[in-house]
Amino acid sequence: MKRRTFLGGAMAVAVVGQGSRALAQQPPIKIGMSMPQTGGLAGGGKASLLGIEIWRDDINAKGGLLGRKVELVVYDDKSSASETPAIYAKLVDVDKVDLLFAPYATVPTAPIMPFVKQRGLLLMGNFSFQVNSKVGHDMWFNNAPWGPADSWAASFLDLAQKAGGKNMALLTADQEFAQNLALTARDVAKQRNIPVVFDQSYPPNTVEFASIIRALKAAKPDIVYVASYPPDSAGILRAVNEIGIGDDVKIFGGGMVGLQFAAVMSNLGSLLNGVVNYNTWLPEPSMYFDGTKEFFEKYTKRAIEAKVDPLGYYLAPFGYAMGQMIEAAVGATKSLDQKGIAKYLRENEHKTIVGPIAFSADGERKETATLQAQFRGVKDKDIEQFRSSGKQVILFPDKLKTGNLIVPFEAARK
Amino acid sequence: MNKHRHSIAFWAGVAIFLVAVLSMTQIVRNEYPFFAGYVILQFIALAVAWSILGGYAGYVNFGTNAFFGVGVYTAVGLFKATGAPLVVQIAAAAVIGMLLGFAVGLLTLRMRGIFFSIATIALAIIIETFVMNWRFVGGAAGIQLQRPPVMAPFDSYVKMLFFVQALLAVTAVAIARYIQNSRIGRGLQALRDDELAAECTGVPTLKLKLVACMISGALISAAGAPAAMYLQYADPSSAFNLSYSVSALAMALIGGTAHWIGPVLGAILLGSTQQLLAVTISSEVNVLVLGIMLVLFVVGAPKGIIGLLRPRYRLRAGGKP
Repeated sequence: MKRRTFLGGAMAVAVVGQGSRALAQQPPIKIGMSMPQTGGLAGGGKASLLGIEIWRDDINAKGGLLGRKVELVVYDDKSSASETPAIYAKLVDVDKVDLLFAPYATVPTAPIMPFVKQRGLLLMGNFSFQVNSKVGHDMWFNNAPWGPADSWAASFLDLAQKAGGKNMALLTADQEFAQNLALTARDVAKQRNIPVVFDQSYPPNTVEFASIIRALKAAKPDIVYVASYPPDSAGILRAVNEIGIGDDVKIFGGGMVGLQFAAVMSNLGSLLNGVVNYNTWLPEPSMYFDGTKEFFEKYTKRAIEAKVDPLGYYLAPFGYAMGQMIEAAVGATKSLDQKGIAKYLRENEHKTIVGPIAFSADGERKETATLQAQFRGVKDKDIEQFRSSGKQVILFPDKLKTGNLIVPFEAARK
Repeated sequence: MNKHRHSIAFWAGVAIFLVAVLSMTQIVRNEYPFFAGYVILQFIALAVAWSILGGYAGYVNFGTNAFFGVGVYTAVGLFKATGAPLVVQIAAAAVIGMLLGFAVGLLTLRMRGIFFSIATIALAIIIETFVMNWRFVGGAAGIQLQRPPVMAPFDSYVKMLFFVQALLAVTAVAIARYIQNSRIGRGLQALRDDELAAECTGVPTLKLKLVACMISGALISAAGAPAAMYLQYADPSSAFNLSYSVSALAMALIGGTAHWIGPVLGAILLGSTQQLLAVTISSEVNVLVLGIMLVLFVVGAPKGIIGLLRPRYRLRAGGKP
């Protein structure tokens, strides 16, 4: 018995050994990136990286790309724009990586856009917003579901107008992403003749929103579009809870960053109810594609060890999808030629765990897949509730819709 | 005579350094050393400029990021409005930095110790808020810039920026060295040791502090100006990042502030370590390593590297041990 076990074990080792020798014959395919692992963007960066690492492990388990193992070369950019130029120069000139992924978020990505354009390199974008609009690099592909710049505000205002909204209040953080959102919101409102009755920016790190919410309430808007960052998103909702927002408001939210992260959501609990906010992936029946369920099973297990967002809906599956697109393009072109890969990515639709992805000429999604969802029946202090469907009902896009908007906002809060 | 010999050695060293930098831009083809080298040179300029006020006069300025950001945004504003070349951007940044130094000095230099430091932090926040609301330079959303074509004899813009930053670092060092050995430097040292006593013996303390603040501000802003073209992107939170203040201060303290070579050594040591850690350990640990380094130096070598290397030196230029 013992001997048989030993023989079996030896054979298994031999088989595995042969397999890995076959993989080891050729040097690995190196994919280089920086990722915010310290600083303000670290929470998102780490979750995104875990998604990419799960893809790497999956592809290596299947035998790698072009029969070669995939290896990630990752450096910490400290969430700062000033670190990334040197890091990407090192990745390209010293590490000689085969392919490049962008870091999570706009700020660290912006300085490397001109660099990849000058060098003619393919860059897979990771949740930055309109970073290619002025650079015009034709080998840039963003994994984020944003789509055309104005679609974000347009989808929210569509919902608002259908619900009878006629004028808008705008509350915006004085930070990069929020200001970009507000800019498009003003444009879309102008096109549709929706008067902006309140337009206020507040400095980052504001903690007390009572006076701002009072002023907003006094303007009696129907639509309240909020573009805020995690700490202020919480502050705004607390102030709304204390002061109320008035019965006129049909719809509230739109661009609140932070309400996608498990820690913020469980902290706010029932204060979230009624808020309509953007999201990228939610555990609703319409959001499951080939491999989505398996991905989250792996993610949930590994997130504990990696100490990242336990839910991981916002970024992680898109990190995995980025890998899947490379997998498809390299598989189809049978080479690592970056021009060929870019051509393939531009001309085809790609199946991923976050749904089909097709790109327009600027490297952003052809159609927006940014969700607008309403929080419903959320209880206090419970992370696990967000794993079940129905807590965030998808209102937009129509293809993925799982429910209708409840109006007015005050009614939806109950 | 001895002083004259020192001078010749210094300028010969400067010439050799600049020739080496220039030939490096012509010979080395791999661009990474220039990206990393640029950052190290930038920190040399910042640390040396910081130590003119912070080291010689003992006025701890936490507003390095304010002057740095002003340099960046002067360059951005000028480039966007007129397409001004790099030299003009840097010169304008130096002038604005100097004016800002003058204004800030007038308002805050009557405060001592921690109160002065707090006032300089406030300065950074005020200017950052102003820039955030200035839509012409992109406001809070930031701005992407397209570099103009590179000038001969350089074949890439980064190499040119590397050389320009080397020039700025050398300028900062030369000015710091001149101040240290001049009446200004001696006056600053006197007021650092005891401001009241210095005032009583006829040292024009406020005037000297103002001069130091203006020169320091001009050099920091000038060192910040090329960052706009280096990153080809500017946003207020990166340009006014407090890490510039902390790094400049830490580099000067680790190197030692009594002599101009101190901040240079500190910047080379800390700057290279930062660059190296960023591409080796590359996680939270690199912040920890820097923190431990700082603590070790503060505890083990309160006079910095130069305090360790040349104990005799304290008697010559450092004033009180």
